[in-house]
Amino acid sequence: MTPALEINGLTKRFGEKLAVDAIHLRVPQGSFYGLVGQNGAGKTTTLSMAVGLLRPDEGTARIFGADVWSAPDEAKALVGVLPDGLAMPERLTGREVLTFLGLLRGMPRDEVLRRADELLDVLELSGAGGTLVIEYSTGMRKKIGLATALLHAPRLLVLDEPFEAVDPVSAATIKTILRGFVRGGGSIVLSSHVMALVEQLCDHVAVVDAGRVAAAGPLDEVRGSRSLEDTFVALVGGEDGGVKELSWLSR
Amino acid sequence: MAVALTMAAMKVAALCHALRGERAQSAGLGAVLGIVLAGGTIYLAVRDLDLLAAAYAVWLLGWLLGPVFMGGGDETLRPEYFTLLGLPPRRLAVGLLAAAFVGLPPLVSLTALLGLVVAGARLGPVAALVAVPAMLLQLAVFVLLSKVAVGLVGLALRSRLGAISTGVLNGAILAGLGQIWVVFLALGQTGVPPLVRYLPSGWGLLAVRGSWWALGALAGLIALLLLAWAALLRLRVGASRASGRARRPFLARTADGAIVAKELRTSSRDLVRNYQFTFAFAYGVCFAASPLLVGWNGMLPYAGPVFIVMAGAMAANVYGTDGTALWLTLMTPAASDVRGRQLAWLATHAPVAVLLTVVCTAVTGGPWPLILALLPALLGGAAGLVPLISVYGLVPGTDPHKRANNPLRTSEDEGSLTGQAYLALALIVATALPAGFVAIRFGWAGVVVGIVTGALCWWGFGRLASARLRERGPELLSTMRTGRKAGGTVQSRFTELSKPRKAVAWWCFGFAAIPLIPQGILAAVFVSRDMLHHTWFLATYMPPGLRYPVALGFVVLGLAMYALGTWIVLPSRQPGTVE
Repeated sequence: MTPALEINGLTKRFGEKLAVDAIHLRVPQGSFYGLVGQNGAGKTTTLSMAVGLLRPDEGTARIFGADVWSAPDEAKALVGVLPDGLAMPERLTGREVLTFLGLLRGMPRDEVLRRADELLDVLELSGAGGTLVIEYSTGMRKKIGLATALLHAPRLLVLDEPFEAVDPVSAATIKTILRGFVRGGGSIVLSSHVMALVEQLCDHVAVVDAGRVAAAGPLDEVRGSRSLEDTFVALVGGEDGGVKELSWLSR
Repeated sequence: MAVALTMAAMKVAALCHALRGERAQSAGLGAVLGIVLAGGTIYLAVRDLDLLAAAYAVWLLGWLLGPVFMGGGDETLRPEYFTLLGLPPRRLAVGLLAAAFVGLPPLVSLTALLGLVVAGARLGPVAALVAVPAMLLQLAVFVLLSKVAVGLVGLALRSRLGAISTGVLNGAILAGLGQIWVVFLALGQTGVPPLVRYLPSGWGLLAVRGSWWALGALAGLIALLLLAWAALLRLRVGASRASGRARRPFLARTADGAIVAKELRTSSRDLVRNYQFTFAFAYGVCFAASPLLVGWNGMLPYAGPVFIVMAGAMAANVYGTDGTALWLTLMTPAASDVRGRQLAWLATHAPVAVLLTVVCTAVTGGPWPLILALLPALLGGAAGLVPLISVYGLVPGTDPHKRANNPLRTSEDEGSLTGQAYLALALIVATALPAGFVAIRFGWAGVVVGIVTGALCWWGFGRLASARLRERGPELLSTMRTGRKAGGTVQSRFTELSKPRKAVAWWCFGFAAIPLIPQGILAAVFVSRDMLHHTWFLATYMPPGLRYPVALGFVVLGLAMYALGTWIVLPSRQPGTVE
C-alpha cells in the first residue's frame, strides 16, 4: 500500500548548520505518527519540507505517492497542515478565515459554510464570532489553525505542536477529533516534545536528534519495556543523563 | 544612570548584529548621504547663519517626519522588552533616550550640528564655548521630538478616525514640502522668514549668537518632551483592544472572489491601510491643488494620477506586510492569489481615482486627452507593478500579530522599505510614459494607448508575479520567516559557474557599457552634430558613409555582451529539479 507520507533523504542546510541530515520516514496509511525531538532537532524543518513550505537541498517527499515538488496541486489537496507560529489572514474573523480557505480549495460555498459552523462549534470558537484572528489568544490561534487543516477533509494531517498553549478541555476535544479521524482511515503526523501525549495518542513514533532519525517504528518497538521518556533521554540525552541541578536555587 | 548605560550597551550590541550583509550596505549608503548633507550644513555655518537656521529646521523636519514614513523609526530596543522589570516610566524613557543616541542618524545629525561650533568660532571664544552644550541639547531635542511624534501617531493609529486624520495631515505636509515653491511664491518673499530663527530647531544657534536664554529653553523643552514621552510609553505598553461586533457575511462563491473579499476586508479593517489610503489621497489633492494659492489651476487635473502613483508606492510591499500568511497561498496552488489582490487593489482605488480625476479635470476644463490617457495607464500599471515589486523585491515584514504596539512598523528593515517605495513610484510613473507622450503629440489616440498599456501591465506583470510566486514561493516564505533573503539566486548560481564562464560573464557585465554608451550612443550623437575627430570616439574618425554604421555596430556589440552575460548567469530551466 502507498504510504500516506514518504520522506526520502530530505536534507536542509542553513548556512553552516546542517538542520536536517538526509531524513527517511515512512508514514503508513491509517497510522497516528508521532515525531519527537528536542528543541532544534529539526522537526519543524522536516515537516515544512514534507508539505512543500520549505525547499529541501536534497531529497523528496511524497503524499500518497504524489511528489510535493513536481505534482504540488495533487499532493497539497490531500494534506491538511497546521504549521507552528505562522500568520493567518489576520484581519478576518475565524468564520471568515474558514470560508476564505474553503473557497480557495474550490469547495462549494454551502458546504464550506456548513463545515465552518460545525468546526467553530466543536472547537469552541463560535463564541468569538466577531473577533478578528489578530485578537485571538495563542490557544485560539492553534484551534483555528487546526480547523483550517481539517476543513477540506484531507487524507493526511501534518500537525506541528498542535497542543501547545491549548487548554485541557480543548485538548481533550482535539484528541477525540484526531482519534476519530484515524479510525475513519485518515493518517496523522504530529510533532511534539511532550512524551506522555505521544504515548497516549500515537501508534508509531520517530525520535529525531540533530537532524537525523535516531529510532523509528511502531511505538512498542521503539520504547520496548521502558517509558517513551526514558527511551528518549537514553537516545538523545548526554552521557550523564543530561540532568544538572542549580546549586544556588535551592536553599 | 546604570539603566541608561545598560540600554545603550544593548543597542550597540544589537546594531553590531543587525549591520551585516545587505543592511550594512544600505546603512553605509545612508551614512555617506547623511555625511554629505551634514557637510553642506556645516558649510552654511561659514556662509550665512540665517540659512543655517533654515537648514536645522529641515533637519528637525526630517527627524519628525522620517520615522513616520519609514516604519516608525528606530525600534531596536522596544519599550515592551522592559515591561517586566517594573521600571518607572521616566527612568525607562531616560534609558531608551540614552539608547536612542546610539546609531547612525544621531551621529550624522551631531556632525551637522558641528555647524554650531563653527558658527561660534566665527563669533568669538565665548560663543564657541556655548556651542558645545547647545549642540548636545539640540540633538536631544531632535531625538525626543521624533520619539514623541512617533508615539502620538502610534496612538492615533489605534482608532480609525485617528488613522484617517493622521493620513490627511501627513499627506498634506509632505505635499506642501513637495510644492514648497508655491508657499514661497504665495508669501512673496525669497529670503528666509525670520520665524525660522525662533523655531526650536534654531534655539541652539540663537544661544550661540548671544541669546543665552535659548539654552535654558532647550533644557526646559527636553524636560517637557521627556515627560510627554514617558506618558506615551505608559499608554503604549499593555494596550489592546478586542472588537466583538457582528461582521457582514462573506458573499463570495469562487476562489478569486474569496481572495478579493479577504483583501477588501483587510483594507477596511487594517488601520495602517486606512492611513496609507488617506495619506495618498491627501497627498494627491494637496499636491495638485496647492498652486491654486498663486492662482494657477494647471496642476489640478493631476490629483487623480498623483494619488494612484502614491497609493501604488505605499502598497508595494503587499506580500511583505501579510508576513508568513503566505503559507496558505503555497498550500492552495490552484487559486490565483495575485489576480485576486490586483482586483481588490483596483476595487478600492479605481473608483476614487476616477472620480477625483473627472471632478478636478472638469473644474479646469482639460486637458482631457492627456488626463484620460494617464488614468487607465497608471491604474493598470500600478495594479500590475504592486504584486510584481512585492514578490521580486520582497522586504520581509513582521507578522501582524507580532507587531508589538507600534502599528507603523510593518518591517524591521525600513531602509529597504523606503527604497522599495521609491522604486515603485518611479516604475509606476514609467508605465504611463507611452500614453502620455502619444496624448501630448496626437491627442485622443493617447487614451487608446493608455488603455492598451494599462491592460497589458495588469495582465503581463500580474502573470510574471504569479509565476514568480509559484516558482519561488517557499523561498519567499523562508525570507519572511527568518527576515533574511534565502540564498541569493543569481549570486549562488554565479559562484557555481566554471572559471572561464565566470570570467566571460565578468567581462560582459563589466565592459558592455563601453561599446554601448560612449562608442555607440554618444558617438552617434556627436556624429549627428558634426563633432568630428572627437577624442576617443571611433565613429567620429570614420569616413562619412561609415560613421553611423560603426556607432550602430558598437551599440549592437554592447547589447550582445549584456545578453551573453545574462544568458550565462541565468538559471537553467529544468522543471522538477530541486535547486
